Formats: sequence, structure tokens, C-alpha cells
Amino acid sequence: MSTLYVVLEVADAAYILPASEVRELETFAGATPVPAAAAFVAGVVHIRGRVVPVVDLRRRFGLPAVERTLETRVVVTEVGDRLVGLVADRARELVRPAAEITPPPRVIAEQTLGFVKGIVELDKRIYLLLDLDRIIGEEQDHGERDLHLDDGGPRRRALPR
Amino acid sequence: MANETSTSTTAGLDAAHSRAERVARTLQATLGTAKSAAESLERAATNGEERARAGEDVRRAVESLVAGVEQTSVAIGSMARMQASVAESARSLQGLSESNVAGVEQLSRSIESTRKDAALLASSVEEGAATIEQTTRSVRGVATNAEDLAAAAEELLATCSQTSNGIRELSARGEANASTIEQVAATLEQMAKGIVRLAQDARDVGERMGKVTTDVEAVGRSLGEVARDATEMSSSVEETASTTEELARSIRTAADQAKALQADAAEAASAVTEIAASVEEVAATAEKSAATIDANAASIEQLSRSAIASARAADEIRQRSGVSATAAADLEKTSRRLSTSTETAKAASERVSSTAREGGAVVTKSIAGFVKIRGAISEAATVIKEMGKRSEEIGDFVQTINLIADRTNLLSLNASIEAARAGEHGRGFAVVAEEIRALADRAATASGDIGKVIRSLQGTSRDAMSATAEGVRAAEEGSTLAAEADRALSSILGGIEGVATGVREVSAAMDEQLRLAQTVSGSTSEVTEHARRVAIAAEEQATASQSLSRGSAEMRRSAKQTSEATAEQARALRELVKIAGRLRGSAEQVSSATAEQAAAAGQLARTAQQMRTITHRTASAMNEQSSVVETVATSAKEVLTSTSRAIAGLGEQSKGAVEVARAMDVARKEAVASSRAVVEQSKALRQLEEASRQVALLSTEVRKATGEQAKAIVSLSAASEESKRIARQNARALDEQTNTLRMLAGNLVKQNLTIASVASATSEHTAGTEQLLAAIAEMRGRAREIAALIAQQAKAVAELAMEIRATTAGVAAVRASTEENGRDLRAVLSAIDEARVPLTGNGGAR
Repeated sequence: MSTLYVVLEVADAAYILPASEVRELETFAGATPVPAAAAFVAGVVHIRGRVVPVVDLRRRFGLPAVERTLETRVVVTEVGDRLVGLVADRARELVRPAAEITPPPRVIAEQTLGFVKGIVELDKRIYLLLDLDRIIGEEQDHGERDLHLDDGGPRRRALPR
Repeated sequence: MANETSTSTTAGLDAAHSRAERVARTLQATLGTAKSAAESLERAATNGEERARAGEDVRRAVESLVAGVEQTSVAIGSMARMQASVAESARSLQGLSESNVAGVEQLSRSIESTRKDAALLASSVEEGAATIEQTTRSVRGVATNAEDLAAAAEELLATCSQTSNGIRELSARGEANASTIEQVAATLEQMAKGIVRLAQDARDVGERMGKVTTDVEAVGRSLGEVARDATEMSSSVEETASTTEELARSIRTAADQAKALQADAAEAASAVTEIAASVEEVAATAEKSAATIDANAASIEQLSRSAIASARAADEIRQRSGVSATAAADLEKTSRRLSTSTETAKAASERVSSTAREGGAVVTKSIAGFVKIRGAISEAATVIKEMGKRSEEIGDFVQTINLIADRTNLLSLNASIEAARAGEHGRGFAVVAEEIRALADRAATASGDIGKVIRSLQGTSRDAMSATAEGVRAAEEGSTLAAEADRALSSILGGIEGVATGVREVSAAMDEQLRLAQTVSGSTSEVTEHARRVAIAAEEQATASQSLSRGSAEMRRSAKQTSEATAEQARALRELVKIAGRLRGSAEQVSSATAEQAAAAGQLARTAQQMRTITHRTASAMNEQSSVVETVATSAKEVLTSTSRAIAGLGEQSKGAVEVARAMDVARKEAVASSRAVVEQSKALRQLEEASRQVALLSTEVRKATGEQAKAIVSLSAASEESKRIARQNARALDEQTNTLRMLAGNLVKQNLTIASVASATSEHTAGTEQLLAAIAEMRGRAREIAALIAQQAKAVAELAMEIRATTAGVAAVRASTEENGRDLRAVLSAIDEARVPLTGNGGAR
């Protein structure tokens, strides 16, 4: 059986994350701002008794901010024992692509600032596989060409624990 | 002694003898004288007798003359009396004629006033027509408004239909999602029922379309009626044309009559003048030669001729009177016709009045319709407002549904993720979570669609609100216009009342006229009666004159008078001929004028022909229009057919919807609530549709009412046209009447002139007759004197004769005594001789 992915929609583009990396989805009712945090960090939220830092994907992708709606979602990711929330415009679907996820063409990789590490098509729709480590890493690193996953150790400084 | 004695005796005897002889001689002479005296006496007696006989003859002749003169005098006296009666008759005739003229003048004045009234009536009718035109405009405005209103109502209905479509769309979408959201399905079911009702409503619409078709057909029928009206108009124009032609003919006849009358009048006038002059001369001659019977005879003959002329004139008068009577009868007939015309006008004006009243009722009805429309539109507005509120509620429901769907999605996603983590154990759960998620997504999609539909619905309700406001405005305007139309109709009614009053006045004037015409007719018949009497008297007079003339014919000695009279007659004839020439000239002028008039009449007839052609063309155009309307009716029928097809399709659709809806179940409360809301909305919509339909129906009714109104106005205007036409006919009839009256007046004047001339001639005759009578009286006196003288003479002659006879007898006695004396003498002589013889002896010898 193929892998299950959670679909995140930001500015009409569909991104996917493996369900195994996602702990749960939550509605987004606003985050508590954190002083001196990175610009793409929306703040922290309480999820099931834990304080979870939240990354605004629009800010992270350098897109204009939009008003929160009923569909705005916090995708709580689980990397090791860390929980990091990603704020997406929508997150209403799960997909199970049958095809192989391939690395994205160079043009797309450059345009998506290295946050996309794979691309797959399902039912005539393109899904971009997000590089979670890069997203939750340092903002200074976004220009790097290396799309391979690293442990991200030194970049986690940008996020409060 | 003895000798001496004897000698003395003998001497004595001788002396005695000689003396006796002397005596005898004397006696002889005396006898001869007596004889001659007797003879002469005889002669004288014979002469005297002869003279006496002659005197007797003369006396008898004179007596017979006196008797003749007496007879003549009596005849002349009777003639004078007749003439006097003729003069009286002529005077009364003249008076009657003058009263006739006065009556005719009065009639003319009355006709003039009638004409004025008719003109007033015509102007009033014109005014009425103008008001009707104004009303027509106003009604047209109302009709336009009603059209606007109908359009607004249709727009409203279209908006409703759009709303309905939206609802249907909503329902369709619900059907698409029926498998997942049953409440939407329930809504759809409700909607399906709604569609069924809609189909029912569409069927109603079909029926309405059928009604519309019927209306169009009715319009076609009414147009056919209009066409028939046009045909009727055509026939009326035909009538007018024929009337015009009749008028032309009547003008021609009138011209002929005028010509003949003029000629007659001129002839009569000149003849009468001539006869008058001749009679004058005759009178002069009679006066001049009063002494002579011959002149009398000639005069009598002239008198006879003039009496005959008089009789002719009287006859002519009688004929004229007959003409006058005919003219008066014509006048009466015309008056009667005019009266009938006026009655028709009265009836027409009453018809106009009733039509106007009907129009008023229609207008009142349309005002009520407008009020109803306003009410219906207000109701519709309330319903639309309610619908907007319901839409907002539905929006809230949709929002809730969205929220719940969102949460469901979230929960199902988390469940799926959890299931994925659980691996094989979580697979079934994952499937359920997946399905729940899919359902939630579909619900969200559907509710989003519903939200869209609700928004568009709110937009259409706003449109409907504005359309409703427009409808209210249109209804108010229609109501105002209808009120204006009502006012205009009221003023029309007033005008029609005025017209009716005018017509009544005209009718009264007509009755007066008719009465006057009857009076004229009566007096004319009286005149005719008088003229007849005059004619009879004149005839008698003529007969008397003729008998007189026959009596005097014996007296006529000289042919000279005859030749003089003949010469005079010839002169008069020459004059007559001259006058006749002049008359012929004027007759030619008159005939040329009449010919011109006839040509004008011909032109008039041609114009009438053209009018007839135009009317036929109009009628054919009306027929074409009618056929066009029939085509429209056919189109309406086609529309009806397509509507029926649409209804059938809707029925099928509704059937399908019902089937689809039947397959669904009620599941969710919110959906149920939504469905309920939709149902409520649908109900509201149905109410709205019902209201719109009512509006449309009322608009149709209003349109129909305005159509009826327009029809009524058309008929009203036709009636007013008819009124106008009748007024014009009236005017024409009045003109004709005036002409007839003028003719009559001319005739009467001529008649008057003739009568006057007759009266003057009669008075002249009377004067001549009186002079003649005086002359005859004088003549009679003289004849009587002569007769007396002759009688005296005769007596004297008779006495003379008697004396002569006595003398003759004396002479005879003298003669007898003389003869006796002679005898005695002779005896004496013989005695002497005897005595002498004895004495002388020879004495005796001697």
C-alpha cells in the first residue's frame, strides 16, 4: 500500500506532507506572538496541553497575508518529539498517490526556494512534497540548492522550544 | 097792272133766279171745296193714321230698345257685382297671399333660428368629438400605463420565475447531492412538490394563454365588428352619395321649375300689363264712344276678352296656388323628414350618452382594478420582504452547515491520520473516516452552492422589490389617469347633455316649424279655394260677358271697331312677341345657369363617387387588418401550443423530480431545517408568484378593461361621427328647406304681383263697368225720354187723326147739307123757272 499524504493548500497550490509526519490537524484561532522570533513564525498555540510553535507558510513562502477563514488550518507536524504547526489556507484532503514521487524540475525547485523536494500527479492535479526540515529551519537557508534532508540541528535555533 | 106786276114779278124772279144760280154756283164751289176738303181730310186722316201707326212702331221699337238697354244694364250690373266680388276675392286673396308671405317669412326666421340651433348643435357635437378625442388620448395613456403595468407585472413574474429557477437550481443541486445530504434531498422533494404546483401553475398559465388567445380572437371579432362598422359606414357614405345625387337631381328639377316659373311669371306679368293697358284703352274708348251703341258693343267685346283674360288669370292663380300648395306640402314633408332626422339625432345623442355612461362604468371598474392591483402589489412586496428575511435565515443555516462540515472534515482527517498511524488495525476506521470526510466535503460544497443561490435569491428579491415599487407607481399613475378619464367622461356627459338639450330645442323648433308649415299649407289650400272661387266667378263673368257680347254682336254695326281692336290686338301681340323674345333671352340665361348648376351637381356626384371609392378602400383595409389580427390569433394559438408543450415538459420534469425525491430520506436536522426554510421560502415564493400572477391577471384585466374602454371610445367616436353626419344632414336638409322656402317666397311674391295686377285690372274693370253702367243709365234715360216724346207725339197724332176724322165727318155733313142745299136750290130754281114760265109765257122758255 502506498503512502498516505496530508494535502495543504497555500495560495491555490497543493502541497503534501507524509501522514506519518503529521500528528493532527487543528483549526487556527490565532497564535500568541513570540518576541524576537523569526518573521515567518506566527507565534505559539496550545494544542492538547502543549505549547506548539507555528510557522505561517504564506510568510515563509513570501506570499501576501490573507485573512483567516473557517478553513484556515494548523497542520501539527511531528519531527522526532518536536511538534511544529504549519498554518495553511486549507487542509481538507488526504491523498494516496499511486505514482512515484519524483524530484521537481530545476525551475520549480528554484522558484519554490528549496521548500519543495518532490512532485507527483494524481487525478490531473500536481502535488508538491514539502521539505519540512527546511521549512522549520533557518530563513537564511532558503537560498541553498541542497534539497536533501539534513538533520537541521543548527537551524532549529530559529524556533523556540 | 098785272103786267107791271108781272113785269115786276118777273124781274123779281129773274133776280131771284140769278141769285139762286149764284147761290148754286157758290154751292157747287162749296161742294167742290168740301169734296177736296174731304179728300184732303181723308188724305190727312190716312196720313195721320199712317203716322200714328209709324209712331206706334217707333214706340214699340223704342220700348224694345229700352227693354234691351234695361237687360244690358241688368247684365252689366250683375257683371259689376261679379267684378266687385272678384275684386273682393282678389283683395282677400292678396291679403291671404301677404299673410302667406308673412308666414313664410316667419317660417324662414324660424328655419334660420333652427339653422343656428343646428350650427350650435354641430359645434357642440364637434366639442363632444374633441372631448372624446381627448378621452381617447387619455384612455390610450391609461392603456400605455396598463401596458407598462403589465410589463412591470411580467417583469415581476419573470423575476419570480428567475427566483423559482434559482430555487429549482438549488433543488437540482440538492438532487445531485441527494445520495449524501438527504435534507437537501428533502428540500428537493419539497421543491419537486413545488414544481408539481408550478406545473399546475404553468397549466393555469396555459389556461391564461388560452384566455389570451380567446381575447385575441375577441379582438379579431371586434376588429371584424369594426370592419362591419366600416362597411356600414361605407353604406352610409353610399347613402350620402345617393342623397347628394338626389340633391343634384332636385337642383336640376328646381332649376327647371324656376325656369318655367320665371317664364310663366314674366309672361303673365306682361300679358296682364298688356291686357290692363288694352282694357284702359277700351275704357277710354268706351268713355269716348259712350254715346254710340257700337262703341258700347266694342267695349263690351273688349270687356268680354278681358273677362276671359281675367278668367285665365284666375285659372293661373289657381294653378299657382296649386303649385304653392304642392310647395307647402313639400315643405311640410321636408319638415317632417327634418323632424325625423332630429329624432334620429336625439336617439343618437342618447346612445352617445349611454355609451359615455358605460365608458364611465368601465373607467370606474378600471380604477377599482388599479386599487386592487396596488393592494396585490403591496401584498407581493410584503411577501418579498418576508422571503428576504427567510433567505437570511437560510444563510445562517448554511453557515452552520458549513461550520459543521468543516469540523467533520477536520475530525475525519485526524481520524484518517490516526488510522494511518495505527496501520493495519486502523484500516477499517480509515475507510469510515475517508467516507465521512468525503461526505463532509460534499456537504460543504453543497452548502456553499446553497449560499450562492441564496445570495442571488436576495438579489432577485431586491429586484422584485424595486419592480414592485415600480408596479405600485404604475398602478397609481393608471389610477390617476383613469380618474382623469372619469373626469373627462363626466365632462363628455355634460357635453352630451348639452347636445341633448340642443337636440330637444331643435326638436321643439322643428315642431313649431312643422306647425307653421301646416298653417302655411292650410292657408295655401284656403288660397286655392279662393282662387277656385275666383276662377268660377271669372268663368261666370266670362260667360256673362260672352252672352253680353253675343247680345251686343247684333248691335255691332261697324267692322271698323273690330279692325281697330284687331289692330290693337296685333300691336299687343307685337309687344308680346318682343317680350317673348326678351323672355327667351332670360330663359336662355336661366337655362345656361341651370346647366352650370347641373354641371356642379355632376361634379358633386363625381365627388360622392370618389368618396364611395375611398370608403370601399377603407373597408378593404379594415378587412386586411382583421385578417392580420386573425394571424395574430393564430400566433397566439401557436404560443398556446408551445405553452402546452412546456407544461407537458414541466409535468414530466416534476414527475422525475418527484421520483428522485421519493428515493431520498430525511437525515440531518440542519438540513431538515434548511429544507423547511426552503419550503417556507418556496411557499413564500409561491405566494409571491400567486401575487404576481394576480398582478398579471389584474394587469390583463386592466388591459382588457382599457381595451373595452378603447372599444367603447371607438364606438363613442363612431356615434359622435354619426351625430356629426346627422348634424351635417340636418344642415343640408335645412339648406334645402331654405331653398324651397325661397322658391316658395318667390312664387308667392310673383303670385302676389299677379294678384295685385289682377286686382288693379279688376278695379279698372269695375271702374270701366261703372262708367259703362252710367253711360247705359244715361242712354236708358234718353231712350225713355225719346219713348215718352214719341208716345206724346203718337197721342197728338192720334188726337189729330180723331179731329181729322171729326172734321171729315163735319165735311161729310157739310157736303151732305151742301148737296141737300144744292138739291133744294135746284128745286128752287126749277120752281122759279116754272113760276117764270106762266108769267111770261116764254119765261119758261128759258
